[in-house]
Amino acid sequence: MIAANVTAELGGRRGARRRIPVLPLLCGLVLLVVLVCVFGGTALAPDDPTAQNPLLSVSPPGGGHLLGTDQLGHDVFSLLLAGTFPSVVGPLAVALGCLGIGAALGMSGAYFGGVTDTIVNRFTDLVYALPALLIAIVVLGVVGGGYWLTAGVLLFLSLPYEIRLCRSAALVQVRLHYVDAARTIGISPARSLFRHVLPNIMPTVIATFLLDFVNALISFAALSYLGFGVQPSSPSWGRMLSQGQSLITQNPWLSIAPAVLIIITGASATLLGDWAYERLTAAGGTR
Amino acid sequence: MTNFTTSTQLDETERAVDGATILTVNALRVTAGAAPGGRTLVSEVSFQLGRGETLGVVGESGSGKSLTAKAVVGLLPGGLRAQGSIDFAGHQLIDATHRTWRTLRGPRISLLLQDPFTMLNPLQTAGTHLAESLRRDKSLDRGARRAEIARRLGEVGLAPEVADQYPFQLSGGMRQRVALAAALARDPELLIADEPTTALDVTTQAEVLQLLKDIQRRRGMSLMLITHDLRVAFSICDRVQVMYAGLLMEQSPAAVLATDPGHPYSAGLLIADPPVTHYVAELTAIPGSVPHAEDVVDTCAFAARCSWVKPECTAAKPPLVSVGPSRTSACLRLDEIREELRSTLDRIDDPAPPPALPAADNAVVTVTELRKTFHTRRLVGKARHTMALDGVNLQIAHGESVGVVGETGSGKTTIARSLLGLVTPDSGQISLDGMDVSNYRRLSRLTRREARRFVQMVFQDPYTSLNPSLSIGTTLREVLSVRGDVTDPGEEVASLLGRVGLPASYAQRRPATLSGGERQRVAIARAIALRPRLLVCDEPVAALDVSAQAQVLELLRDIRRSDELSTLFITHDLSVVRQMTDRIIVLYHGQIVEAGDTATVLDNPQHTYTQRLLKAAPGVLSGADHAADPAWGEGEA
Repeated sequence: MIAANVTAELGGRRGARRRIPVLPLLCGLVLLVVLVCVFGGTALAPDDPTAQNPLLSVSPPGGGHLLGTDQLGHDVFSLLLAGTFPSVVGPLAVALGCLGIGAALGMSGAYFGGVTDTIVNRFTDLVYALPALLIAIVVLGVVGGGYWLTAGVLLFLSLPYEIRLCRSAALVQVRLHYVDAARTIGISPARSLFRHVLPNIMPTVIATFLLDFVNALISFAALSYLGFGVQPSSPSWGRMLSQGQSLITQNPWLSIAPAVLIIITGASATLLGDWAYERLTAAGGTR
Repeated sequence: MTNFTTSTQLDETERAVDGATILTVNALRVTAGAAPGGRTLVSEVSFQLGRGETLGVVGESGSGKSLTAKAVVGLLPGGLRAQGSIDFAGHQLIDATHRTWRTLRGPRISLLLQDPFTMLNPLQTAGTHLAESLRRDKSLDRGARRAEIARRLGEVGLAPEVADQYPFQLSGGMRQRVALAAALARDPELLIADEPTTALDVTTQAEVLQLLKDIQRRRGMSLMLITHDLRVAFSICDRVQVMYAGLLMEQSPAAVLATDPGHPYSAGLLIADPPVTHYVAELTAIPGSVPHAEDVVDTCAFAARCSWVKPECTAAKPPLVSVGPSRTSACLRLDEIREELRSTLDRIDDPAPPPALPAADNAVVTVTELRKTFHTRRLVGKARHTMALDGVNLQIAHGESVGVVGETGSGKTTIARSLLGLVTPDSGQISLDGMDVSNYRRLSRLTRREARRFVQMVFQDPYTSLNPSLSIGTTLREVLSVRGDVTDPGEEVASLLGRVGLPASYAQRRPATLSGGERQRVAIARAIALRPRLLVCDEPVAALDVSAQAQVLELLRDIRRSDELSTLFITHDLSVVRQMTDRIIVLYHGQIVEAGDTATVLDNPQHTYTQRLLKAAPGVLSGADHAADPAWGEGEA
């Protein structure tokens, strides 16, 4: 996250706004394709991703199978498309949850100060101190996993980043006169926060949303690689990666393809987040 | 070209000052962007500066005065380009090489910047700043360097111990002095000071100006002072040039300009500036706002705001011509209107009787023994306690305007914020028309709502007092929805905008597209939308140009009269307080040191602090009398 802010600043100094934004356009396109696959992946798949073909166990690309087949003869390309849903929806939910809860808590801390701020801050300190992935593995191992439980645990663990960033962005705004003015007019705190503060910290909120998504995407993949989170029958990218590991000599695509997809999706979201932050701060025109 | 001939005429008279010209600027043009589509920000500016002479460059924001100064020191912001000729003692400065600048900038030309709070490195002591700027002379040992630094600090009126202090330990005025010492470290022949006192308190401002003038005289240095305040320019400059929309409007000796303006714009600036000595019945502002330089290429730039405009004014750009001994003006009709210009000044020179005091028996606001201390905890060391208010009593009657005067840190703003419930006082009582609002948090919902409607505030900084992401209309509609009894918000917004003198079409605009004065009008509209009975104005014009200031002050007077509003007017500017208030209280370190009718207090101040404030107001500044006053420098440490 820190790295992302630094790149955003560097980009601002270069004055990248003037150039035709090929890169963000490309990133947006990638994310759009991913989103289409989330909802239509199974329908778009050339073969039935659940259809087994014992005769074609672990074959390299060719013969109607673009990326070959896996151990049970599933078409890898179809598996990838169908796997988009479990790989992306969870992270998306985590990011959305972070956005809502994190922004609300962060802004409240900044606006009310005092006890509220202390509670919010101590909470983030506490969660920061936890070794995130380790905690996730232990909790999921004990409770027994489950897709939405994984999402819940990841949401809890990535809250502090969102809270911190929203709080610091909101702190700048709540000291400005227009927030005081809203208070003296008699506008309720909730309305002040959502109508006056939130629009002015939107660049931070949107950028952190995309970064939260990337973090969750990678954590989800890591957890399903380790066998947590996604049901064994469900073809998520992380699970495919772990399955392909042992078969890398027979069909390397089984592990390369999901890895590449994770990288491309994550990188696209990060770059788009940077660009959006830069763009929105510039357009917001502080004065 | 006319400019050229006039500047040669100037030569003969001006050189008399010290026999030599140090800086000659000819047809200076500053443009942004590439040539064909680029914007012109400064055009056709020519002037000369003699050795030992002081030149004031005056104009509202957007007049190009700062860009002119930055062009002279070669520090134009990226993307801007200077053309023309800037000759400094034989060196051509336009597109000068780095090597040339290294021999000039610092040793021979130096720049003093506006904001003393950001221009010093917070991690370096004052001494380090100075040592950096001093000549790198190997022969000096450490002791000698220390002595030299102490001597330099002494020159700007600071004690040698200041060398070991960090910027955060110094007050604004002291920082500005350190910056001045650093700017003077290489003994430059020309010092360019860009609004050096704008960010300072009146009293500190007067000290720093006096110091600048003393040092300039003692060293025989040339000084170019950039300021938006004519009174500041008059107080220390020999000559003043008035800029407008990137053009020179007039150049005159300061003493002459003060009484006999050579351009309608100069006259407008002079009468927009309210006098501290008496009440004026009507504050006259120049209508409208400064145009962009490229919009007025083939007309008199000021024509759109000038009351003497004739068709010939807009036919072509009037040249700057000589209109008297060492005077030039860009007004075509000066010969015809000179007498009228002079007589407009009478408008503010005629004292009007201040309005009768409202009856003091029906107090709408009563503040009793208000106290507030701020605590700052530090990571290491003892907590700091700052006493902001120390037993303040005050009453405001129905329809009365009470002024609160004092320096930064005197507790003015804390009073305002307590009245509005933005700060909870430690003890004491605030009563608004019978409602006890000493602690807003303890009020019931209903009472709090009533209190919020009773009192509204106009904040100091127009740039942060409006939400940048909401349109003006949305901002106002939100307030109207709180008021609740509005049937047609669209019409009500239009009428509110009309009341503050803005067209209804502004409802669609965002704050970023408005000037400072316009934003402050919107802020006033927002404050009066709830129909409050008390309006608190916290330095509402401190951030505005002199012309916008007059407009906003006159608007506030109007509203106060028609709505019979009580106001609490907080300001550090005594001339504003004279125009805007019936009674004043003078605050010093959280205590009221003097209170009474505005006229009585300002005409015959009793407390030494009030006397000091009055003496410091620019325009009242005369001679070197208070530079010798030892109490001046120490009070701020």
